[in-house]
Amino acid sequence: MNAIDLFYPEIFLAIMGFVVLAVGIPIRKSSVNAGITFATLVVAIIIILFTPYSSAYGITMNKFSEYFAIVLMISALFISLPVAKYLGKRSEIFYSALIFSSLGMILVAATWNLIIAFVAFESVSIMTYVMSAYGGKQRNLEATVKYFFTGTIATTFIILGVAFYFFSVHTFVLSTNNIISAATKSSMLLALLFLLIGFGFKLAIFPMHQWAIDAYDGTENDVSAFLSTGTKIMAFVIVLKIFLVGFSSYTAPVYYFFVVLSVLTMTYANVAALSQNNVKRLLAYSSVAQAGYLILVLAVVSYVGIGSGSKAVDLAIASGMFYSLVYIFMKGGSFLAMNMVKQDNVTFDAIAGLGKKSPYVAASFSILLLSLAGIPLTGGFLAKYFLFLSVIDGGLWWLAVIAILNSAISVFYYMKVMRYLFWEDPKGEFSTDIGNKAMVIISAALVVLLGLLYVIFPMLVNISSQIVG
Amino acid sequence: MLAFDILIISIVFGIATFFTGRYAKEVASILSGVLLILIAAFSILRFSTYTGGFVSSYSITISSSIGLYFSVGVSGLTDALLILTGIVMLVSILITGRDYGSAFFGLEMLVEVGLIGLLISRDFLFFYIFWELVLVPVYFMIGRYGRDNKDSISLKFFVYTHIGSVFILLSIFTLYSYSFTYLGGYTFEIGPLMSIVHLLPPFELGFVLFGFLFGFLVKMPSFPIHSWLPDSYYSAPYPATVILAGAISMMGGYGLFGILMEAYKAIPLWVLYFLMVLGIISIIYFALTAMFQRNIKKMMAFASASAMGFVTLSFAASIIESTGSEYSVKLIEASGGMFQIVAHGLIMALVFSALYYISRNAKTDSVYGLGGIYREAPMLASFSLIGFLASLGLPGFAGFIGEFSIVVGVFQAISWYIFFVIFGMIITASYHIWTAQRSLYGPYNENLGFIRDVKAGEFLILIFLVLVIFLLGIYPNLIFHNLVNYTSNVFKVVS
Repeated sequence: MNAIDLFYPEIFLAIMGFVVLAVGIPIRKSSVNAGITFATLVVAIIIILFTPYSSAYGITMNKFSEYFAIVLMISALFISLPVAKYLGKRSEIFYSALIFSSLGMILVAATWNLIIAFVAFESVSIMTYVMSAYGGKQRNLEATVKYFFTGTIATTFIILGVAFYFFSVHTFVLSTNNIISAATKSSMLLALLFLLIGFGFKLAIFPMHQWAIDAYDGTENDVSAFLSTGTKIMAFVIVLKIFLVGFSSYTAPVYYFFVVLSVLTMTYANVAALSQNNVKRLLAYSSVAQAGYLILVLAVVSYVGIGSGSKAVDLAIASGMFYSLVYIFMKGGSFLAMNMVKQDNVTFDAIAGLGKKSPYVAASFSILLLSLAGIPLTGGFLAKYFLFLSVIDGGLWWLAVIAILNSAISVFYYMKVMRYLFWEDPKGEFSTDIGNKAMVIISAALVVLLGLLYVIFPMLVNISSQIVG
Repeated sequence: MLAFDILIISIVFGIATFFTGRYAKEVASILSGVLLILIAAFSILRFSTYTGGFVSSYSITISSSIGLYFSVGVSGLTDALLILTGIVMLVSILITGRDYGSAFFGLEMLVEVGLIGLLISRDFLFFYIFWELVLVPVYFMIGRYGRDNKDSISLKFFVYTHIGSVFILLSIFTLYSYSFTYLGGYTFEIGPLMSIVHLLPPFELGFVLFGFLFGFLVKMPSFPIHSWLPDSYYSAPYPATVILAGAISMMGGYGLFGILMEAYKAIPLWVLYFLMVLGIISIIYFALTAMFQRNIKKMMAFASASAMGFVTLSFAASIIESTGSEYSVKLIEASGGMFQIVAHGLIMALVFSALYYISRNAKTDSVYGLGGIYREAPMLASFSLIGFLASLGLPGFAGFIGEFSIVVGVFQAISWYIFFVIFGMIITASYHIWTAQRSLYGPYNENLGFIRDVKAGEFLILIFLVLVIFLLGIYPNLIFHNLVNYTSNVFKVVS
């Protein structure tokens, strides 16, 4: 078998990353770079679709990894065009960083080897440090420094966790066959703890979320869209693989940790978001809360047991997959909607009256907010619906009650934003850039489409068992 | 299949209305009129020889492995409620002033889509989707076009009823998770799922019943989870109040009779007695509260809640004898309760439409601000009086049939405690009459100046409602017959 087939997307992206870097120096026009990057990512998605399903060198392509590779590529694709307007000089570095980070994302999606995943993950992180510093204002740099320092601390924890994991099961391969002997259980617990802390930072779950609020608020809107969608979903994929597959013979602590963390994350973030006056910070808190819903998947699956053949496991993983896809559009789209405001500090007053200035953008933004709140006919509803369904199906009634009440609390602050959009008079200036508007409207349309395409979900249920690699 | 077509048509109409600009009113009126005609034609075609069960069933399989279907079906109950929805929405659109703009008409059509969808859905996923979908346009109607504290009231309305809905959602999930155990396959369909409720383990049974009851009683609304109601009714613009009172409160009644009733075997006796007490408290408490209102709109809001107390009462009373060894539903209360939902919706549409014209023409809707408007606007005063009389349950009007059959039936279940219900009815009659005397008749309040009477078009809307209410009052069999057939066919019945 010719194993190089598996790596065509990665090779292509690596070459194109350098090409953008080289071509960008004489061109110096961000829109051209954006066009090249967009085309590159689209072509890469097509290559991924044609990559054969096989396994070599620690990389396994199956439907599960293909799905997440494409979802993560979409998150990069999503910002490649709108960000061009705000980059100014030396945009080629930004775009090659974007391409290289999407390379890392594919690797993360496709590997079941802890070391490869770690290296790929770090390559993405480093690229995002570069990207978040763009903008060049004081607040961008501050946010980046915060992001960078917490990121390196997270890295330390992850590598410690990886080491303890190797010590416990004597392999880096994540598989359901890893047996832990009684003697090494304490080291396995340490591995769990360290990996949880490390990836908890990246996922921005309570109490490792503080950096996220400032970082999302401080970076450019497009970059925060990428940070809160791309890197977060990537962390989610890797967390799914590590804790569900790698720890599949050691599930009880996983269940306890994730159940406590998800409850705390949802509740804390939703309550904190209630009192925000800054819309971008509100979206950041809502992003933390969404991560709390997402990790319910881990709680349910580890409670039921991944090999138990229960429907709840398939439903939970599939709803996590579906959530990831919808999340990219609804969260990314809402951060892009912030571009409409011509201020750095997006207070409620700043967005007031958007409904009067550009009704279609305001309507689209409110569709995205409704989707985040989980109101029917949006993708967010369907994702939440099946997620909570699997929680109850797995036998965790009380957890579903908490989650669903949280989701009801969240309605308060999403509705507050919508109130300012529609029934307050305009106070600030709004951007009239057609590209921005188009991106928000497109993402709202996609969110509605995903809410109507019920057929996707059963397909994902069939794929979800391939998570074991 | 026909019912499914009506849903699709309503969705297309609803979306189209948003883009019609300044012709929105004409377009929305015609479209909702067409929908009403379609519903009426459907009812005549399929329900003139109705013998019970569900007709026009149709199912689309989305995924059989996880039990996703989109199935529709119409019963005698849902058909009556569909007609009610059609009439209430048409009236609401017709009385809406042109100055509200096309978005408002679009929102109204969207409410109609949601209502039709939730009535004909026979599976829980789509039932819940449409159930929630109704909330969004109403939120915008109150929040964008309402008065006095509209933003906090609209938010209160949304969050309050949304929390009710999510409890329904939890119950649905619980049932789904047991569907494999008891039915041998996963499904979201309402019929099969409700038939297994009584098999559930005690805790899960309680959980499911609590979720459904909480969700439905919030919508009704029942004491003590009613506090969203007076604010929302008061603050909403009149066309939206018509929708709230005529159609939204119907959702709770439909939930009880159309959904929860199918699991009547599972409801423990003490829950039924508790519901009965809640119903009686609702009737009396809301009637007393209504008596002390100085604003007619608020007064009628409480009157509406009081009338819905009869629905809770009849629901509980109709199955109260079923918890013995013999499972059964008593015909007269059950059908009476269903009839009451329809009658209440129509009457509230009449009352709030008449009040709308009064408050628009007289620029006030306070009881003390009005007075003797019969002198200037005799038509308007007469229509309001008819509305009031129908609302208090005068014989000859639709409201009487429902209340009468409920009282007769309930008497067998609770004997002399029926006194409390009668007491509530007396209070209801007294404050209606008092308000009518105070605001419509008596000496004219000269501060009001000239009050314009209804125009020809407005007259037609009101007379249409009066005729429908009167028709149902003297010939209730038009729908009562179907309700009886439905009840006696679906449930094991003692008459």
